[in-house]
Amino acid sequence: MGSRYLARKIVQAILTIVFIVLLNFVLFRMMPGSPDRVLARNLPDAARAELRERWGLDQPLIPDQLVAYIGAIARGDLGSSYKFSNTPVTEVIGDRIWPTLILFGLGELIAIVVGLGLGAYSGWRRGGPVDYVGNGFSLILYSMPYFVIGMILLIVFATTLGWFPTSGMFSLGHRFDSPVEQIADFAWHLFLPLMTVAIGLIGQYSILMRSSIIDTLTEDYVTTAKAKGLTDGRVLRSHALPNARLPAVTLIAINLGYVIAGAITVEVVFGWPGIGTLTVTALNARDYPVLQGIFLLLSISVVIANLAADLIYGYLDPRVRT
Amino acid sequence: MRSTAGSRLARLAALALAVSALLVAGPPAPTRAADPLVLRVGTSQDLEALNPFNAYQYIGYEIFFLNYDLLVGFGNDLKPIPGFAESWSQSPDGKTWTFKIRPGMKWSDGTPATAEDAAWTFQMIIDAIKDGNSVGYGYLDPDVKNAAMVSATAADPETLVIELARPNDRPLTTTIPILPKHIWGDKTLDQINEFANDAPVVGTGPYQVVEWKTGQYARLARNPNYWGNRGAADEVIFQFFPDSADTMVQAFKAGELDYIRNPSALQFNELKKEPGTATISATSNGWTQLGFNTYQEEIPGGGASTTALRDPAFRDALGYAIDKQALVDKVLQGYGIVGTTQVPPWERRFHTDPADPRTFDIELAKQKLDAAGYVLDGSGNRLDKDGKPINLRLYFPNSSDDYPKLAAFVTDWFSQLGIPVKSQSFDSGALTDILLPPEAGDQYKADYDMFIWGWGGSPDPNALLEIFTTGAIGSTSDSQFSDPDYDAAFVTQNEAPTTADRKGYIDELQRIFYDKAPYHIFYYDNELHAYHTDTFANWQTQPTEDGTPFFVNGSLNYTLLTDAKATPSPTPVVTEAPSASAGGSAAPTAAPTQAPSPSPAPGGQPGDSTGTFLLIGGVAVLIVLVTVGILAWRTRGRRGGPGSGEEE
Amino acid sequence: MTSTPLSDRELRAERWRLRIRGWSDFAGRFGRRRDGVIGVGVLVLFTMLALFPNLIVGPLQTATTAPGQPLQPPSLEFPLGTDDLGRSMLNLTVHGARISMVIGLLATVVTVLLGAVIGIVSGYLGGRTDTFLMRITDFFLVLPTFVLALILAPIILELVGSDAEIMGIPSTLVVIIVVIGVTSWASTARIIRSQALSVKERMFIARARVIGGGGGHIMWRHIMPNVLNLIVANTVLVFAGAILTETTLSFIGLGDPLLPSWGVILNSAQTSGAPGLGAWWFFVPPATCIVLVVLAFTLVGGALDDVLNPRMRARR
Repeated sequence: MGSRYLARKIVQAILTIVFIVLLNFVLFRMMPGSPDRVLARNLPDAARAELRERWGLDQPLIPDQLVAYIGAIARGDLGSSYKFSNTPVTEVIGDRIWPTLILFGLGELIAIVVGLGLGAYSGWRRGGPVDYVGNGFSLILYSMPYFVIGMILLIVFATTLGWFPTSGMFSLGHRFDSPVEQIADFAWHLFLPLMTVAIGLIGQYSILMRSSIIDTLTEDYVTTAKAKGLTDGRVLRSHALPNARLPAVTLIAINLGYVIAGAITVEVVFGWPGIGTLTVTALNARDYPVLQGIFLLLSISVVIANLAADLIYGYLDPRVRT
Repeated sequence: MRSTAGSRLARLAALALAVSALLVAGPPAPTRAADPLVLRVGTSQDLEALNPFNAYQYIGYEIFFLNYDLLVGFGNDLKPIPGFAESWSQSPDGKTWTFKIRPGMKWSDGTPATAEDAAWTFQMIIDAIKDGNSVGYGYLDPDVKNAAMVSATAADPETLVIELARPNDRPLTTTIPILPKHIWGDKTLDQINEFANDAPVVGTGPYQVVEWKTGQYARLARNPNYWGNRGAADEVIFQFFPDSADTMVQAFKAGELDYIRNPSALQFNELKKEPGTATISATSNGWTQLGFNTYQEEIPGGGASTTALRDPAFRDALGYAIDKQALVDKVLQGYGIVGTTQVPPWERRFHTDPADPRTFDIELAKQKLDAAGYVLDGSGNRLDKDGKPINLRLYFPNSSDDYPKLAAFVTDWFSQLGIPVKSQSFDSGALTDILLPPEAGDQYKADYDMFIWGWGGSPDPNALLEIFTTGAIGSTSDSQFSDPDYDAAFVTQNEAPTTADRKGYIDELQRIFYDKAPYHIFYYDNELHAYHTDTFANWQTQPTEDGTPFFVNGSLNYTLLTDAKATPSPTPVVTEAPSASAGGSAAPTAAPTQAPSPSPAPGGQPGDSTGTFLLIGGVAVLIVLVTVGILAWRTRGRRGGPGSGEEE
Repeated sequence: MTSTPLSDRELRAERWRLRIRGWSDFAGRFGRRRDGVIGVGVLVLFTMLALFPNLIVGPLQTATTAPGQPLQPPSLEFPLGTDDLGRSMLNLTVHGARISMVIGLLATVVTVLLGAVIGIVSGYLGGRTDTFLMRITDFFLVLPTFVLALILAPIILELVGSDAEIMGIPSTLVVIIVVIGVTSWASTARIIRSQALSVKERMFIARARVIGGGGGHIMWRHIMPNVLNLIVANTVLVFAGAILTETTLSFIGLGDPLLPSWGVILNSAQTSGAPGLGAWWFFVPPATCIVLVVLAFTLVGGALDDVLNPRMRARR
């Protein structure tokens, strides 16, 4: 792959990040409600003045606040949370990022494997019973908000059947004898939210994979391959699948950007202590530094994911080098 | 690369299977024998700090009551009991209090706890106030300020002397945690304000915070050095459900929690039917109100839309068009008390009902409006004294489900008077800005007519009384109410030496408030608590007759719990006091109440059949959906060969 | 494109003939896609609900006009049960259709207008403008839509003015519409741009012929009709996305409680604890409606895409 292509993509990504950092500053300052009053309506005047000073809000917007902000960002300092007084934003977010990563990482993985598998099989056996049922399901799942799936699973498997816990990440107050037991407890709590995420994502992947397989199957070289007498499985593996991978990679990268939307509702339904519930908490408390931190973190990770997708794309499909 | 794609996919699938196998293997066999006896408390609030000066919600106070001692504790009769101090006495002139500190007491880290610690704690706040500062968010400062403390000194390790500027008994009811000087003592005020006070937190209370995860839980372990009664719980865990009260109730029902605070009214009704569950409804130290913009002057580009709102007679007349009992019944499912004055009935020492309360009578409201000079025009719209039709804007924050319901009722009733109301919801941040007058800054315009919101009080009524003083305009006032008599009475009551002396002035404040009506308080929302009776026993409440066990003043009730399995369990007391005139739940703070959002409905359906209904309903819907999907797809697939249906 | 010059009138007649044939051709092909037809049927049904809620179930019930007891299960009187205030769920769900569909529609209009204009302009003008517009588009593509929406909502409310009404739509709804529009136009712009690019290449001859025709004219008369197919197919899918986004935003509490869309109803079901109380009728009707409408849009969108998009047809 051309190093110019690579360099251009990287420069673009860096530029995007710079813009995001600036947008973050502007959005933050445009928010209505001065933070010292939003925190609590009846804070004494002295306490408010002290908070404004601590948050640097008593300085002029430009250049003082902007300079301070950029300096802080450069140092990796996202400021301190309003709600969780004086706790650095990085610490607040750092605490909550892992549950989300595990939940959505595993969920994506399951969805990719099952969804792509289902889609590939449906496309391959187009018109067969698996296709009817599988694609019907995919379409419905695709049309369902995550939290609806979550509510159904919660009511059936946690409230009614009692097989799984309703919320949280660990059994509280339980003393674990071994790490294995602790992991098992974690997995037990993880199961329902994980299934919600996986089920919510399967539809997309399956639909996408099915249509790319169908598209590929009508390409000349596949027809040729079939005519040459290659077995179905071989045609699928060596011709159809590799070509259908490209759109899938794009979708996976795009999905990262939407993770938070799904995360918020799934985590709310299951009380999963991740970025999603943190976002809602920060929103309700008008904890703008935390919101901005989440915004920054997510957009930068999407930029990086897109960059990675571009690079993978270029690697998988040599034609894309422009 | 291409040739291996398939096998890669297969390997991925295998990995996924392995992972899911591990997951399904799931639920660990609980080995309860090894477990400590844990008391798990669920609340919809989320702890915001381990620094007691930077917490402003009930949950913070609850945790700090456990972590630290108050100088003087609260008994379940709300009388003083030993806390950090064992005994106390007041000098004949009433201006000097001497506290005897328990000898041999230790902090949870083993350091001796003495009068030095208490003296440092109080003196630090006294100094900060003297310099015009506040400590942290300043919620604990009023205790010192209202008691007019001048100095706090340790005469010897077992004697604390507090000097007051004027005689009063308020040093006995402070909610200031006594902090360890060996940890806090070398800090400047700025450092104190920003101190994280990370776990494990050192205190003298019965339980210490040893672990805190924001948005999740705080875990408190028993203080081995605690001087008082040992509660049965080895650990207390507070679990936070900031996003979903439903999840909290589910966890409670599933036995994952022992105690929950403020489920919705509907859920509370359901919990009453659960075996082994005690439910308590007690009056709270807070209210929900309809507030008016009573600002007395024009505000360019803002202000109220009619001058009528400046007129107490107009506001008074509107009060006759609010059926408060209907609101309690329909919005709170009966779990509340009809609202009257700004001192909630929870404050049994000071609450006084108005002599001549308004009744719900639309006709009377109309007569009063006519009499006050607000007459109808030809089209049935009421006019203000400038001859302008009165159209009121009603704003409310989107933080509670109850507010839109209240807005719908108010709109309906006021429209019967010929006053159209247009309501709108805001996020709390935006509404806070809207409610501020120019006094708070040039950019503020108090551009509103009426609003729905609520307040929660501190143990002392001062904070709630102060909202309606002239000095609060531009600060905490959201009605812009100003009345010289009120201001004068407020200062006098605060300086009165004894509770009995204060009462007379506070009665006067309540009378002015009710007559001049800057607010119409809809109701005082009840505290709804529920707990399981099979793990712990000997649940006491504060006040004994009609209070709640937890989320009250002090930590006494935690220390009185016994192990239900070790002792014969007494029958659960199911108390209900929706209309009791005074109760005691609620802890200090005057932060905005956003907590209670009880939603109505006694309905529900008989317990277990609902699950089945639900399953059937869900399955039916799923089947319909699948059928539609399959049908749609089938036809498509059948038509098309490889090129699918659209091929000609 | 023939090289024989035609008179103005002949040209117009020919254009109409082609247009009519195109329409019947389209109708015929679409009619054979039964998934698309089913989708259209569902959408027509919901459009009727949205247009005439008052005729079907009477005016929207409020806390004061609630006829029933709270949380009554379905019965003859209340076929879908009642909510936590005793309002008929049938009444709420039907009125919810109106609110959800209106928000979805307007958000779609904003999204597609923004996306189409930027896509066409960018694709047609090319060069610096293209680079600049596409940088912005890419920028919006990487922003986390949802968090941006959360941050934008109060800002937009502040900008619009709290009690402003824009064309009779209260500002709380305007906020949701604008938020959805602003956060989702980028992918539409991308798609339209690439089509506009290829149309432009094909249009070189035509462009040469339209002597004196300005850029605006060419974009409007020549490029736009040629990307219209794509815009239509995309619009339908954007609509589905808008409804889902509205639902999610409302579910976490950004909706207007006085205007209960399906998302707002689901939010109040969640906050009042309906799932735990077994009051399935409180959330199953709005949830089902959302799934049906989104599914219908997806089916119609898929069918339209296949029927309208010549590239894909040629490939098969």
